[in-house]
Amino acid sequence: MSDTQASSPAPIAQHDNTKMGMWLFLGGEVVFFVSLILLIIFYRLTNSAYEAQFRSHLSIPIIAINTFVLVTSSFFVVRALEAISFKGDQKGLRNNLLVVIVLGLIFLGGQAFEWSTLFSEGVDYASTYGTPFFTVTGIHGTHVFVGIVWAIYLLVGHRRRPMTQDNHLAMENFGLYWHFVDIVWIVLFTVIYLV
Amino acid sequence: MESTKRPNYLLIFIILAAFTLIETLVSYVDQATIRLPTLVILAGVKALLVLLYFMHLKFDSKLFTYLFIPGCIVVIPLILIITIVMPLID
Repeated sequence: MSDTQASSPAPIAQHDNTKMGMWLFLGGEVVFFVSLILLIIFYRLTNSAYEAQFRSHLSIPIIAINTFVLVTSSFFVVRALEAISFKGDQKGLRNNLLVVIVLGLIFLGGQAFEWSTLFSEGVDYASTYGTPFFTVTGIHGTHVFVGIVWAIYLLVGHRRRPMTQDNHLAMENFGLYWHFVDIVWIVLFTVIYLV
Repeated sequence: MESTKRPNYLLIFIILAAFTLIETLVSYVDQATIRLPTLVILAGVKALLVLLYFMHLKFDSKLFTYLFIPGCIVVIPLILIITIVMPLID
């Protein structure tokens, strides 16, 4: 290797390759979720009468609380990453991840409650607005579930091979995924429930 | 993380929570001309805050931004078609 090659800085550290992959994946997820959100918007624009009837079944206060729960979980993900990356605080990482898991489960519980209420009120999955609603919120809920499993995996893996101040990329990648799922919900909350 | 800059995460969280509350209250406003733009702006700001600060896009390598942005650009024609062109066809 020549001196020039040896001294020129790499554009990005080699250990960040998985983080690059995560950002690329999230870029793809943008296309996926925007397509689904547009499906909702399209149904709303073309079925206004039915849409108004469907919206009367939605409980905004409950979903607002659920949104707050997910935003709070994002804050605790940041706290977990801060704990390990700036202080090397293993206990802080573990405790904050546990809170994230609990908040994720509360969010899914809220969504399950909402769905069961809608079903009990006679909202059909196979209806004009029911299909896009349950599809989009269901796929988002699945993403939250995957995030919870990922957080549990990090917790278990952390016990066997603890992350350190210099080696916490797994936590960073998980954080990127969780925050993205949070952003998707911020948009869904507005498009489906509020507008 | 490539930078040691540390934003005030608690402040960002408080802003996000406050915006969520404001959004919820605004959704009960009858006038669509006030409700719609306010909700879109609040949601956009919330999403940007999470993206820039919680996901560290503001402080990390620009390469991550370049990897993420194409996905956002690809969907622009989709958004235009669904929101502007399709309703006109009917």
